[in-house]
Amino acid sequence: MTEKKDTAVSKVETQTPATQTGTEDKTAKQVRVMRPAADIHETKEGATIVIDLPGVSHETLDIDVDKNVLSVRGDITLDTPEDLTPTYMDVHAGAYQRQFTLSAELDSSKIDANLKDGVLKLVIPRSEKHKPRKIEVKAA
Amino acid sequence: MISDMLRFAPLAFEGLDDFFTPEPAFSVMRNRLHSYPQINMGVTDKSVEVYMFVPGMDAASLDVSIEKNLLSVSAERKAEESGEEDSMSRRERFSGKFKRVITLPEDVDPDQTEAVYRNGVLHISVAKREDTLPRKIQVNV
Repeated sequence: MTEKKDTAVSKVETQTPATQTGTEDKTAKQVRVMRPAADIHETKEGATIVIDLPGVSHETLDIDVDKNVLSVRGDITLDTPEDLTPTYMDVHAGAYQRQFTLSAELDSSKIDANLKDGVLKLVIPRSEKHKPRKIEVKAA
Repeated sequence: MISDMLRFAPLAFEGLDDFFTPEPAFSVMRNRLHSYPQINMGVTDKSVEVYMFVPGMDAASLDVSIEKNLLSVSAERKAEESGEEDSMSRRERFSGKFKRVITLPEDVDPDQTEAVYRNGVLHISVAKREDTLPRKIQVNV
């Protein structure tokens, strides 16, 4: 499956390596990763990305920005008894991973991240020079 | 605007069809991979463990009940409000009411159920009935 970028819809495009789209990645020795659901909205102030990461704690969450690519990765940790035998599983992956390409208008150095109850909220402000400005018209 | 998107959805956004569903309530039905919320289950010698992936909930709003061996969890997940000036460019996260009923093994003791909500995962542990646990029989000489 190839990744489609919906440039018309969003200034914040999301991308995921082809192997992870919709399904889990099964690379040997690696933890299976899956793509978490995300909401993106944009305001005059910037963009907000909300990502569902149930089972991820502050300790297992990793967010980094490389140039204009924002990467989010979180390992799922469940409090399981040692002798647990799985009988049914919707979630086979051990981690979530997703990348977002930020538009140049956004200031990636000022991202505010907040994780609560398995929901990560990222607020990315628009760069000062890209904020809408009101121009005062002076009386002649 | 959504309906405009829908026209393009089947071709242009393969794999993202659940995202373009106009009514959130139907996204559960249309999602090919799973229904909401996702569940993992397992058993130990003494208990049945259920993990429900329900991020962003208030623990008090989760309605968990158990009757005999039927465990049901229902709640409502509210969509985040966005101001008029916002433009929503992507909406994949589930919102709306959900209910999931799970049939547990027959040998559980509903009186010994514990539920903990942590990091967006609801963990329900139901003990197995004492009288069904394997017992060691002492052999008298």
